[in-house]
Amino acid sequence: MKLGSYMLWAATAVGTGVIVLLGYFVQLEAGAPTGLMQTVFGLRLLIMRWAVLLAAVGLLLGLVNLFSVHWRKISDQEQGWTYSTILILTFFITLLLGLVFGPDSPIVLLLFNGIQLPVESSLGALLAITLTLAGFRTLQRRRDLVGLAFIITALLVLIGSGPGIVPNASAGYGFFSGLRNWLAQVAAAGGARGVLLGVALGSVVTGLRVLLAMDRPYGD
Amino acid sequence: MCSALNEEDAQTCVACGARLSPLVAGGDAPLPEFPQEPPETPSDPETGDQDDWLARIRAGVSSVEEPEEPPAYSESPTGSPEWLGGLRDADDRYNQGGPDEAIPDWMDEFIAAGDEESAEDVPDWLARVRSRKSTRSGEGEPAEGEEEQDWLNRLRDESAQLAETEGEETTEPGLEGLLPGAEEELDRQELEAPTFEPVDEVDRPTPPVLDLGILSDMPGVPGSPRSSGAPPAEERLAADASRVPSGGFGIDWAGEGELTESLEVEHDSGEQEHVPALVSDESGERPIVEIDESVLDSVELPAWLDNIRPLHAPPSEEPAEEEDASGELDLAPATLPSWLEAMRPVDSFRPEIEIESDDVQQVESAGPLAGLRGVLMAEPVVAIPRTSSATAARLEVTERQFAQGDLLHRLIEEEERESVILRRPGRRLPLARWLIGLALLVAVIVPPSINRLGLQGFSRPADIPREIAPLVTLINNVPTDRPALIVFDYTPGYSGELDSVAGTIIEHAFSRAIPLVTLSTRPTGPPMAEALLSRLGTAYAAVNGQSYLHLGYLAGGPTAVQLFAISPHDAVLTGFLLPDADEQAGVEIGPEVHSTVWEHSLLQPINHLSDFGMVVVITAGTETARNWAEQTHPWIGDTPLIMVLSAGAEPLVRPYFESTVPLVDGILTGLPAAVAYQELSGQGVDAAQRWDMFGSGMLAVELILLVGSIYGAGAWLLSLRKR
Amino acid sequence: MGSIDLLGLLVLLVFIILLFVFLAIGERRRALFRPIEGYEALERAIERAVEAGERVHLSLGTGSLIGTDSAPALAGLAILEYIGHMTTLSDKPMVVSTGDGAMAILAQDSLRNIYRSAGALDRFGPNRARMLGPTPFSYVANLPILLANEDVSAHILAGSFGAEGALAADFGERQGSFTLAGTDDAQSQALLYATASYPLIGEEIFAAGAYLQQDPSHRASLQVQDAVRFILIGGILLGALLRILGINL
Repeated sequence: MKLGSYMLWAATAVGTGVIVLLGYFVQLEAGAPTGLMQTVFGLRLLIMRWAVLLAAVGLLLGLVNLFSVHWRKISDQEQGWTYSTILILTFFITLLLGLVFGPDSPIVLLLFNGIQLPVESSLGALLAITLTLAGFRTLQRRRDLVGLAFIITALLVLIGSGPGIVPNASAGYGFFSGLRNWLAQVAAAGGARGVLLGVALGSVVTGLRVLLAMDRPYGD
Repeated sequence: MCSALNEEDAQTCVACGARLSPLVAGGDAPLPEFPQEPPETPSDPETGDQDDWLARIRAGVSSVEEPEEPPAYSESPTGSPEWLGGLRDADDRYNQGGPDEAIPDWMDEFIAAGDEESAEDVPDWLARVRSRKSTRSGEGEPAEGEEEQDWLNRLRDESAQLAETEGEETTEPGLEGLLPGAEEELDRQELEAPTFEPVDEVDRPTPPVLDLGILSDMPGVPGSPRSSGAPPAEERLAADASRVPSGGFGIDWAGEGELTESLEVEHDSGEQEHVPALVSDESGERPIVEIDESVLDSVELPAWLDNIRPLHAPPSEEPAEEEDASGELDLAPATLPSWLEAMRPVDSFRPEIEIESDDVQQVESAGPLAGLRGVLMAEPVVAIPRTSSATAARLEVTERQFAQGDLLHRLIEEEERESVILRRPGRRLPLARWLIGLALLVAVIVPPSINRLGLQGFSRPADIPREIAPLVTLINNVPTDRPALIVFDYTPGYSGELDSVAGTIIEHAFSRAIPLVTLSTRPTGPPMAEALLSRLGTAYAAVNGQSYLHLGYLAGGPTAVQLFAISPHDAVLTGFLLPDADEQAGVEIGPEVHSTVWEHSLLQPINHLSDFGMVVVITAGTETARNWAEQTHPWIGDTPLIMVLSAGAEPLVRPYFESTVPLVDGILTGLPAAVAYQELSGQGVDAAQRWDMFGSGMLAVELILLVGSIYGAGAWLLSLRKR
Repeated sequence: MGSIDLLGLLVLLVFIILLFVFLAIGERRRALFRPIEGYEALERAIERAVEAGERVHLSLGTGSLIGTDSAPALAGLAILEYIGHMTTLSDKPMVVSTGDGAMAILAQDSLRNIYRSAGALDRFGPNRARMLGPTPFSYVANLPILLANEDVSAHILAGSFGAEGALAADFGERQGSFTLAGTDDAQSQALLYATASYPLIGEEIFAAGAYLQQDPSHRASLQVQDAVRFILIGGILLGALLRILGINL
């Protein structure tokens, strides 16, 4: 990449990032903003709308990429090309139906309620089975104090969350319920707050690296 | 000598001038007649008596013990090269000539061959030999040493006679040009019959390599293979090569000179007699090395020959005396590595180098080194060449080497071969996964059956979370003249849990006739909202367009949330599944009336986010909940923000609810909280219908985790014990 | 009228100053970081995959490029660059998958730059980075097909994941692949701890650049995080102490 184009992309990325970031530090109160704050805020809104448009375009390009990958699979008769064929067929059928009848047409809703919703719900159920199996194997894979604490905490929260081993009406359920609340609202919340702070720090620094052109996802 | 290629009939090497054809005896060409008497050699005070040089060789120890001065070099008047002059000064031991009386066995061939030939074809010298032999046989076998001396003396006599009778001298170009005084020397010296010393009297150190090339390949030397057209060199070498005279070959090395009669070569035609090179002919016959004795007598051997010990006699003639080996060099035999040994052609060479002791080393019996012990055998490389067989290049390969070579060959082949992608071995059946899935499936299927049978399921939760009651109160206080915003920000995968949890609040809102407006930042949100509201609204006669309305999909993710919070009209323009005018009795609504969804009657009072009666965010992700809480806070005003969450998101969202300046006004997490809400509000049955299945599923999961934990802990303890 | 959040600007300024300070100090004194097992095993796993002629798969998550979901994905780009340089010229170069179209384009561009820097631009193809599905569960539904068909032996998850991340990690484990998983969501991190072989907890995903690339700017960024973390810890403790003493600020 030539130096001129690289400088242009870097300037664009840094400039838009700074404008959007500064816009977040502008607190607007009742009434229309004026002066410099109006300019900054207005620019920020404009750039954010462009970002929304670009995200939608990016989604479209991602779909094109998805189509091209599966089309290549069919062309090359690679392993699993039959599933790629089904994907492309359903892709075009759904697209045509949506374009012709609209996304809120009964037929499209029928496809959604009859195929996508059950499939994704099943994957959610599969998640439950996967997590149960992972819990079953925790102490076999992680034989340390952290693993032991992990599985004990999971059991206590489960017991205190609903009916199960300890019935709701029993006297002991109150203990487990209180313990569960403490674990979820104190211990877990505190730990999650710490994780959130760390993640926030990492996110800020990562964003600063892009703003300061230390990270150049747009190329060198 | 120099390994240069020469023509087949060349007599001297074009590169170094060495004689290519030795002086041989026998063959097709008539041999020169040996003088009857050895030519008289001028007495040279330096060399001493040159007679019977071979006899002196056979003198053995006595000869060796007598330090003999190497013949001093005398430069010929003609200025011949120094090295040639040195050859003249041969050790007396080697000037003794052959035995006087003894006829070597190899001569028998000629004698036998001669018997078959006519008298006219038999050369004179051979005839003389035969006569001598016959005489000898009549007289009885003399001693072998004497026999050798006798026959050689006879040969010398015959050659001397021949030289006298013929009286012609010819010269050969080439070497005579180098040796201008050769002829004079020949005139001066007489061929002496080589006298052989007993081989046991000759000391034999490490066998030197005697370079006879110059001696045998000299052109112009009578009787040399080249001059006489003798058979190939290999044949000549097979002949008796022990007739190297100590005094030289009787050649005038220095002079230009004419050869003696004994060395006379027939050059009538001017052609040079062919002295074939030492190559094998196709017949494979042993070449006969023809060596003129007179030539041998006059050759002055170099000084290094002094160190050559006398040849031993043939095994039957080996002397009893042991040589003094004090002066020998004790060299360890060389050993070759196995791979080098294996590269030897099997047919041509010996399998290993053997340095034999002096006792077993054979005495050279032919050529100018006759009588010497330890001479490198010319056979079979030179003297007895054989046509290499088809497997002459076959290597000796051990089994290990063969395996290694085969491995290398396979490695190279594999590099060229396209490797086949091996399929991974089939994974084991995931029995544990199947069993756990079956257990959970049974756990959620059984309770409805139990309920149908009238059996009581799990009891309702006794402890109601503390945040439920304020939430119920909050929703009871929501105004009904303004719609409530319900945000469906979860994927269909979480619909199993969140539909039931959110359904509680939706049913409560339907029961209070609160208009609902749905929104989603995900494309799948609006269809799910329609599915849920239409299902729950049936019990409350809720109709799309009257009881609820869909704003649709809000593109842009978290960024769009702030845009919506700032200006809802700018963020959303079109709705989702807006009812047609025909479906709404009494209300004229339709695309031709409303340009945007905001013109709908339900949305008339809404201009800002704070105009909504309440905002309910239904999500399973903590990030989405935080986005709505943080992005909408500056613009939501007094409108309550309620979070309907999955149980897993509670720890991260609850701080927003419990902070001193809460961003979230109400929170409802998980099915137990939803069931408790229904119990407290008395509204809704959807969550309660799932309570038994939820309970049985929880029970199954708890049991599975307990079993796995016990098994894992036990295995862990056992492993600790084993250590 | 509006107001400017000066406190926020001040915090931002502190970040920037600390970044340049640690960047300057790092030139002379190299900081030491605690070992992270996942990153240490990652290099070996990639080398093993390259030697065995198998593929490395990197997932940048199901989050969008705009918004807070992009932060872990940008951190995942550092891992992409690291793995890309190691596998560009191998028999089976790496493959990148995302759950967002814009993220897929970003991954394609990053890979193209890597191939260009390696002088192997002709080996790059647009399908090296692909979107498997527009929604999280549709992405996860396509993932096992990719893992099986591409013969993946190293499975790295570095991006924004929800609960579907646990499924994604489990698919890799069932494939017998080396699985390294990290995300920014604490809830998902708990699920990944149970399902992945090498989970990245907390903000360890943001340390990828410093641990893998050893770039001075990445190391300085990590030091800034640590420095501000200790400042926050001090502030929290001070605030709690003051609150206990009844002092309300």
